[in-house]
This record gives sequence, C-alpha cells and structure tokens, in this order.
Amino acid sequence: MSTAPFPDRARIDAFDKVRGATEYAADIQFPGLLHAMTVTARIAKGTMTELSTDAAMRVPGVVRVLTPDDFPPPPPTGGEDGPPPPPPTLEKRIAYRGQPVAVVVAETLEAAIAGAEAVRPNFADEQFSCRIDSAGAESESTEDWTAGDAAEAMAGAATAIEATYESPTQHHNPIELLATTAVWADGRLTIHECSQGVNVTKGSVAGALHLDPALIDVKSAYIGGGFGQKGLAQRQTALVAHAAMLTGRPVKLVLPRGQIFHVATYRPNSRHRIQLGADATGKMVAARYHAEHEQSRTGFFSPAEYHESPIRMYGIENYLGTAANIRIDRQAPGYMRAPHPQASCFAFESAVDELAYKLDRDPVAFRIENDTKVDPKTGHPLSSRLLNECLTEGARRFGWSRRSAAPGSMTASDGTQIGWGVAAGCYPSMMPPAIATLRIGANGSTRFATSGHEMGQGIRTAIAAVLLEGLDINADKLDIVIGDTTAAPQHMTAGSWGTAGAVPVAAKAVERMRAAVSELLAGRTVAGNLHRQLATVRRPYIEIEVSQVGAGQNDDALAQLREGGFVVAGPEYPEFTTMSYIAHFVEVHIELHTRRIRMPRVVSIADCGRVISPRTAASQVRGGVVWAFSAALREATEIDRRYGGYLNNDLADYVVAVNADIGEIEVGFVDQPDPLANSMGLKGLGEVAMVGASPAIANAIFHATGKRMRELPIRIEHLL
Amino acid sequence: MQPFTYMRPTTAPDAVSAFASAGADARYIAGGTTLYDLMKLNIEQPRHLIDITAIAGLDKIETDGDRLRFEALAPMSAVATNDVIIRDYPVLAEALSKAASQQLRNMARVGGNLLQRTRCMYFRNGADGVYPCNKREPGSGCAALRGLDRGQAVFGTSDACTAVSPGDFPVALVAMDAQLEILGPAGSRTLPIGDLYRLPADTPHLEFTLAPGEMITAIVVPKTAAGRGSTYHKIRDRESYAFALASAAVALEMDGDQVSRAHIALGGVATKPWRAPEAELKLAGQRLTPEVALDAGRAAFSGASPGKYNGFKVELGARTVADALLIAAERSRS
Amino acid sequence: MTGSDDMPEDGKADTDNRTARSGFFTLSRRSALEGGAAIAAAAIFADASSPAKTATAAQSAPLPVASDQALTISATINGQPVAAEIDARTSLLDLLRERLALTGAKKGCDHGQCGACTVHVDGRRVASCLTLAAKIEGREVLTIEGLSDGAALHPMQQAFIDHDALQCGYCTPGQIMAAVACVAEGNATSKERIREYMSGNICRCGAYVGIVAAIEDAASKMERG
Repeated sequence: MSTAPFPDRARIDAFDKVRGATEYAADIQFPGLLHAMTVTARIAKGTMTELSTDAAMRVPGVVRVLTPDDFPPPPPTGGEDGPPPPPPTLEKRIAYRGQPVAVVVAETLEAAIAGAEAVRPNFADEQFSCRIDSAGAESESTEDWTAGDAAEAMAGAATAIEATYESPTQHHNPIELLATTAVWADGRLTIHECSQGVNVTKGSVAGALHLDPALIDVKSAYIGGGFGQKGLAQRQTALVAHAAMLTGRPVKLVLPRGQIFHVATYRPNSRHRIQLGADATGKMVAARYHAEHEQSRTGFFSPAEYHESPIRMYGIENYLGTAANIRIDRQAPGYMRAPHPQASCFAFESAVDELAYKLDRDPVAFRIENDTKVDPKTGHPLSSRLLNECLTEGARRFGWSRRSAAPGSMTASDGTQIGWGVAAGCYPSMMPPAIATLRIGANGSTRFATSGHEMGQGIRTAIAAVLLEGLDINADKLDIVIGDTTAAPQHMTAGSWGTAGAVPVAAKAVERMRAAVSELLAGRTVAGNLHRQLATVRRPYIEIEVSQVGAGQNDDALAQLREGGFVVAGPEYPEFTTMSYIAHFVEVHIELHTRRIRMPRVVSIADCGRVISPRTAASQVRGGVVWAFSAALREATEIDRRYGGYLNNDLADYVVAVNADIGEIEVGFVDQPDPLANSMGLKGLGEVAMVGASPAIANAIFHATGKRMRELPIRIEHLL
Repeated sequence: MQPFTYMRPTTAPDAVSAFASAGADARYIAGGTTLYDLMKLNIEQPRHLIDITAIAGLDKIETDGDRLRFEALAPMSAVATNDVIIRDYPVLAEALSKAASQQLRNMARVGGNLLQRTRCMYFRNGADGVYPCNKREPGSGCAALRGLDRGQAVFGTSDACTAVSPGDFPVALVAMDAQLEILGPAGSRTLPIGDLYRLPADTPHLEFTLAPGEMITAIVVPKTAAGRGSTYHKIRDRESYAFALASAAVALEMDGDQVSRAHIALGGVATKPWRAPEAELKLAGQRLTPEVALDAGRAAFSGASPGKYNGFKVELGARTVADALLIAAERSRS
Repeated sequence: MTGSDDMPEDGKADTDNRTARSGFFTLSRRSALEGGAAIAAAAIFADASSPAKTATAAQSAPLPVASDQALTISATINGQPVAAEIDARTSLLDLLRERLALTGAKKGCDHGQCGACTVHVDGRRVASCLTLAAKIEGREVLTIEGLSDGAALHPMQQAFIDHDALQCGYCTPGQIMAAVACVAEGNATSKERIREYMSGNICRCGAYVGIVAAIEDAASKMERG
C-alpha cells in the first residue's frame, strides 16, 4: 500500500454545482408532469373515519385524489431475517400526527396545494403518548454491552462521578426537501428521488405496491444533503409511484418542510445516566452507563448502540452499558449524523471532563493517559487508535499550554468570560461490499460505475482522486456513475462507510485496468495517455469489472449486494476492531450581561486513517463542527404534549446555525493508514467529524463560567 | 392557497378605490414577505390582492428639514443604508438591518413592515385546526397560554392571547415618537405610531387600528438630538436572521454626564411595540453608570407577567435595556 | 424545553381544541402572445442559460384558474425577454423552476427562511419563493444560470470552487447569488460583515468558513474588475 499523501484536488462536481447545473431529484424535467401534494392526519393517534374527495376534485386542475382505498394491503413481513417491511402507504389507522392520508395530483403545483387544502378528513382520536415522559410510554430494555465487572470495579474506584445528561429531539433538515418524481412508461417504473439508498427505495416500493423489483429503476445522482434522513425508505415514495401508475403521467412530489418534520426520521430525545470511576493513579477503571430514548411503537433504532463509541474511547476495562426504548406514539426516530455518539459522547465526554476536574487533572493530559490499544468489548486489538496524536497535535495548534485551569479564570477586558474546552470522539469504521466497472475509451472518455451516493461528502471526488492518481486519463471526461440501480449494484450509503465502499474498489479497478492495458500493449511502448494509447492500437475501449468485500466477508456478501441487501462489515471485524477518532479544541466567549455564547475558534484533528481527498475531507470536518455547534447551542424540536406533532416545524423556529454563528475552524489530519481495515488504509470520517465537538463546547462553557451544562441545547436562559 | 385576483394600480388613490370596489377579502400587498408567507400557510386567504408597489413616487426617503420622512414603499434595506440615518439615527438603521435577511429587507417595504403579523408558532401552525388560536379563529382558544410559551410576550398579554409583536423597526419608531401618514376611503389622516397597534384583550384577531381600505403612505420621525445617542440592541437565539428574544430601542439626550431625556422601547417581549416610561422617568437627571442602567432595565420590566418558560425574558430584557443604554450613552459622547 | 411538571396530560388540551402548462411563452412582443403565437420558450432557455438541461417546461393545456385569477407578465430573465401567462398564486421560484426549467434556484423552505431560492431582481437579491411571479412585470431577473457566460465562470463561482465553499451544492446557487450581491452592496468589507450579510443563506452542510473565504477572495477580484 502506498502511503504518500494524496494531493489537494478541487471537488470534482463543484464546477456544475456553482453554475446551478447539477440536477437534484426535483430538478429533472419531464413533459406532461403532474404535481402531487399530500394531505396529513390532524390527530396523533386513532382512525380516519371519513375522507371525501369531492371538494378537492372540484378544484380546477386536480386530476386525481389517492386515498387508502387506492392502495394494496401491506405485504407480509419477511420474518426476523428478511428485509424490513416497506413503510406503510396510505392507511386509515393513524399512528402519529402528520401521517399522510391522501395524495392530490394536479396539473399545476398551485392546484395540487389548493386541492390538498380542500381535503378535510374526519378522525376518531384516541389517547396518545408523545413524549419520553408521557403517561402510556412503555419502557423496553435492550441488550447490555459489557466488559469486565463494572459493579466491582466501581466499588473499588478511588474517585467517581455520577451525572445524567440529556440530548433533545432534533431533525436533520437538509436544505433539499424530500422529493420524488416517478415515471411509469413501457411497463417500467423509474423513480428519481433524493435517496442515500436507491436499493432500499427500490425494494420498498416493490414491496409496498406488490411489483417485481426487476421492473423498478431508482436514480439519485446528487443529494442536497442527507445526514441520514434519506437512508431508509421514505414515506412518500410509493405514494408518488402509485400516482404515476394510476395517471399514466410523470408525477412529482416535493414535500413541504413542515410535513417532513412529521414523516422523516429524527434524532430522538435521549437521557444518559453515567457513573465513571478512576483508580488512585487516575486511570479510568469502571463505567456504568444507562441510556434511554424515545421510540415509536414499532421502531428499531437501537438504544444499545449508544455504547458503541464510549466503550472504545479509553478502553475502560469494566463497563456495563444498559439501554431502553421508551415507546410512544410518534413516527420512528432514526439515523441522524453521528446518530448515537452525538448524544452518548456528549454525555460521556462531559463525564470524563467532570472526572478530570474532580481529580484536578488537565483534561487533555487525563485523556492521553487513558490510552488503549484494545477494544474492551471484544478483547481484540484496535486496528489503529491515534487519538493521542490528535490530542497532542490539537493542543499544540490551539495553544492549550497557555490555558488557565480554574473555571472562570479567563476573562476579556470587557468582562466577556472565556472558556477553553476539549473533548474527543470516536465512530465505527465500517465497510460494505462493492462491485465496480471501469471503462476507458479511445474517444477520451472514462466511465466508472459503482455503489455509492453523493450527498456532498465528496465521494465522487475521493473516487476521482484514486482514478486520476493511478491512471493517465482525461479528468474532464471522467464520468462517475453512482446512486443508480441501473449502473451497478447499490448499497445504502451511510454510517461513514461510503469512501470505504467506493475507494478500495476504485483502487482495485485501477490495478486491474493497468494490467489489462499492459496485456493489450504486450510490451510495446505507445505514446500519450491511455485514451491515446487505445486509439493508437485501434481498440475502442477497455472495460473491466472488479469487486471487493470487507474483512471477514465472502462472496455471499456480493450476492446480498446484488439483491439490494444491507451487508456491512465492521467495526468488529473477525480479528480486530476499527474506529475513527478525533479531538476537538474549542474556545467560547460568554457575554457578560446578556450571556450570548459565541465560538470564535475551533481546532479539530482527526484520525481517519489515510486521507484520500484532503480538500473535501477538511470540509467534512468543518461541517461536523458546525453540526455539533448547532446541536449543542441551537437545535431542539418542540412537541406540545397536548397535541403531538412538532410545533417549530420550519427553519425560522427550528434554529440552525447561520454564517454569523461560525468563527474559525482549523482542521488537521494524522493521515496515517490503518494497517488492517482495508486495502487503502482509510477509515470513515463524516460522522466522527461531529462526535465530541458538542461536549467540547459544553466543557468550554464550564471552563468559562463554572456552570456544568448537562442538557442540550444550551441557551441564553441557562447562563443568565 | 385559494386563487385570487391581482391588480396593480399606479397611484395611491387608484389603489384605495380598487380596494373599495374589490369588496370583502381584499388586501394590499407590498413586499409580500408577511402576507404571501401566510397565504402559503393558508392562514391569510384574500380573494383580491392589490399590489401597491407600482405606485410611482411613494418610496422617497427625506432627511432634510426638521423631520425624517420615509414613504411607505421605501425598501427596508434602502432606509437601513441611508447615510444620514446611519449617522444620526443608528437606532433606526440598526432596527432595520438586524431584521430578517438582506434578501427580505430588499423585498419588504417600511410601510408593510409595520403590519408584520406575529410569529407565534401556534398561530402559524394551525391552518389545519390542530392548535386553537383566537387570533386566527376568534373564540377558538389559545394553545400558547398553557403551552410552549418560551417565545411569548410578558407585556400586554390577555387571557385570549400572548403572541409577540415581532417587528424591530416599529419598536424603534415607537421609541422615537414617529407619526404615520395614512390614506383611505375617507381621505388622509395622521396617527401616532403607538396608536397603530391594539392590545389583544379579548379580540386578538384585531391587531391594527387601520380601517378597511386604509394604507400607510409615510412614516414621519421628528428630529431629535437623541438620535445620535441611540441604538437598537437585539438578543436572539442565534447571531443573525432570527426574531428577538428581547430587544431594546434606546435614544438618549444627554446633558454632560447626565441623562436629560431617555427614549426606551422594548421588542420581542410584548404584544405590541412597548414603550417603557417607568425606565425613562427613572433615568431623567441621572448619571448613567452600569448600576443605574441596570436599575432602569429592571424598572422597564417591573410590570412584566411571564408564563411558564419565558420568565428568563424579564431578566434578559432588563440586561438588554441596560446594555443598550450604555451603548447609546457611549455614542452620545462621541 | 422539555419540562413536564404541571403540564396537562397528552392529548388533553385545556382550551377548546375544535376540531407549465399554460405554455404561453414568447420571446417576441406582447402582440404575438395575444395573437396566440405560442412559442415554447423552454428551448431558448435551455440554449441561453442552462446547458445541462433538456428543457421541456412549456406545456399546452390552459391554466386551471379563472381568467381573472391569471395574468400575463413580461420580464427579462437572464437577458432574455420572456412573456408568460401565470396563475396569480405562482411564486417567482415556481415560475423559474416549474415553467421555465431554470432549476438553479432551489426550494429549501418556501417561506423565506433559508435563502436557497435567492435570485436578483433589478440587481437586488431577493427570496424568489416569497416573491409573487406577478411582481417581476417589467423587471430584470438574474438567476445562477445567467451569472456566467458558458464555461467562463464568474469570479464568485471560481472562488467557491477554490475554497470548497460547498458540499452538497443545494444551497450553493442561492449562496453565490447572495454573495455577488453582498459584494456589490459593499458588505464584503470584513469577515464579520460578510458573515452577517450572508446569514440569510443557510448551509446545512456547514461550509460557512469556505463561503466567507470565497467571498473575501472574489470581492478583491470583482473590485479589480
């Protein structure tokens, strides 16, 4: 494996993006297009008793109103081992407020909206529970995560802290609205949708509408931000597909943001009770940690996974992690950037900070001294853990040695309180199988097709980095086809495994292509780049196909990939565990009187193995820091327990970070290849970038003020 | 959104007569940043829109003489960037430039901005009838009263409504004793800006004292030496592009170190732009120290009646007033 | 706000909780329109401004609204004269996207809360989602598609590439249109001022550091002309 740093390279799709030429799902034009708008349930639980379409059909331009009666019954579930059932289509049974109950299809968007407003269904409502502490919420324990004997070790700890932390309900809110356009023509259904898993979309629509999956194509070339919202099957997809089939015309639905709050997944409100103990030398020896979160009645987003990162942060040998779902009447929560560790590392890294203060230890030194090379859960080695390098380099760049340790001891001349905080994060580094084709043409073109979805993380740029580094081809005629079920078998892109899925297979394609060219030329020396060489030897093109599986996977994984399945290796590989790490250093300023919290600078150093695309990787980390800032100081979805649903369901009232909120963010990478994880030595980055930055902010606020903030978001009123 | 007819008269009298002949459910529209927004939410349902932005010569900004005069169709961004306003009346320029975004300030006109409707989430989120709202549907009740009231008012509330008057510029104008020029079917009149706004009482759906068919044609601000010693201080949940949690429009006439006259109005905390005469009186004749400023801030909020989650606005508001006073005093010295 | 003490039970309110087709596009004079000479503008738009698109926006059915709820507008978009019959309800954003196949401006909120739909009207940046399409009568509209000429990028576009001031790219056209205006307004004079005057454009990917750097860079080039 070469370990030379990859050169800085511009984002490969930026040229189109800055011209507005990139086509997102809602941008693709079709003749004869109809517009759809959904009608949603006003009640939080119960049954729709009456739905009249008359008024809507009288609205000029309305073509059709789809109701529950238009849809086939849900398919039988595949049992424990089968794929998850598709999301319901339209149903009379109401499980949560905002559930779609009808779809109006019209000649114009204005008519579709007016038609949807004209549908006024009647409902019979029932008692419901919509918050984690509601009467009627049902607690359900999940499996424990254990290492050693936490109870005994805690009893013997010389110093311990115990505290409870809370993270609020939060919604992804990518700026792109959920959008689906479906075209039914010549017996095939083509779906254009912003999806992080076109294979998932395909399977769920086939299941919901009882169609042969072989008749369905799904395309998601560019996604206007995903952050996990667009990974699972989306509620509107089958509705739009069915509307296209019934009307025989292309149908487009762009969901209003207020509706998206109610049908998309979200980061659940979660609570974290942590006991953390250290021995007399200051080594952390015991953790007892209970996590619980709000959950729908049937959802599967597991609270046990809150332990996946904390247990591997410092190798605490005795760890007892318990967890529970609190089941209530809402739509299911799901994966939102750094899904579990955003909340669990906020809690855990705050607790570590509290313990460091109690021990009177510097928070950076304390973390460095709690290094580990072993995964306590499995006993296997961590394939790489360069967190200490991150902490050391970050401290150097930040100027940590100039920090005055005592809380409240750093103040500006105008009375502004200054706080310096640190926290670390880790996130599983996983890997899906992949199949790729690479075709280089004598006409100057190159086409590389594989599994993956471009949502801004820069997967195309990372693929291009490998192809352009290894092959002498025209960069401007390189077509990287991903997010398309017709181009290559597709796997969901999430969990920071996109690059691990696409880049090693691209490198393998490079090797295979070089061998194929070498074979073709048979020792001849031909001038020019590969296109020129092919032209010279009168070969129109060379196409090769390669595949890869993760460590511990075999050809079964490729078969599952071809069937559109979910098949990810890691972070527990057969003989090792692979995690990405990061350290964040944060400066906060707190206004003397009105207590506004500002974050003028951050230094973040990541260990994501080998960095394939330095420029987009740095942007990923800055974006993660912005997300963590916003999660820590801004975002919370409000639910009025009397009504269910989400009250602040727009971008004015669901407050996310704006430009004026963000100061300087300096990013660095250790850039050392992981020796075991994959052929390229890379580890995931998109999620770990965010992990730990929220607790770094909370820890900095403690340093500035002496007030320990254990509940997010932290707002002005908490510091007045 | 239901269909509507759209007219674009080119003179103010034509607009007024167009309104009269359109009959019920007619609305004037200028920038549209409030009205069109609420139409998209199906909360405003006009049948006839009379676009007044084609009226010629109703966007002048006059700074000569003994008053400032802003015609109603001047964009917010134009008044905010007027050099004389920036220099001599920072409270006005800041109230405008700290509102919304530059895109919206380019669209919204200063006349329409005075008629911005509340951002109460229960008001905006209820076209499907889930949340009762007396403002939206008189007599239906108020979901905010025992609800998530962090953003609600602590002044001027009633048992029927606690919705905040969201504007920034109106707060500054109330502090500066502005007058409005109004044109309607019965002719023209002038109105002190404070009299434009109604308290919710038991009729929160009635927000303004304009008669049907009346439009604001100009805003007149008397010139005062207090203009240079002024500021609009706005505290919100993020650094920009957000409505106020608490804001203060402050202008000070100083006599040496002593305050001879203070103008103070509060935003983000009341059901209408809220003048604070208790605080103004308290300051008269005082040397403005940080302690005196905070006393005045506390006096401004002495009559506040918070709900469950918005109690912090009382202390935050007091400190916002205090900081605003210190900024204004500093400016009056330079 | 997660407090729950003394809150009513779930569901128990303490108050009474009662329950493009019109296709008339022409690049010529209004009289041609009135004469019924419907020329599909879309093909011209595809040529003029949107190289990546196969424009198919013009459709032929009449607008499904009463005649007094529709109107004909004439404006200049990206330098091209345009006339269209529109439903009075139509926003400028929907006119651009759904009728004219100019999909660079994006819908992110439809309520003036995100900035993704930013375009210029008579040289000033506006939120096209909250602008009635009727209001562009006689005005000049500039969208991202008209900002640069072919492959020669505007300095702001190049600066966004150079500073990686984007990730997913969805908010980018709005960011760039806002940024160009920010410089023209004289508001790109410091990092602090850029941050303030770009706060009407939300970038959920969090590319703000790059956006500020790009604007500082482009501003100096734009001033040099």
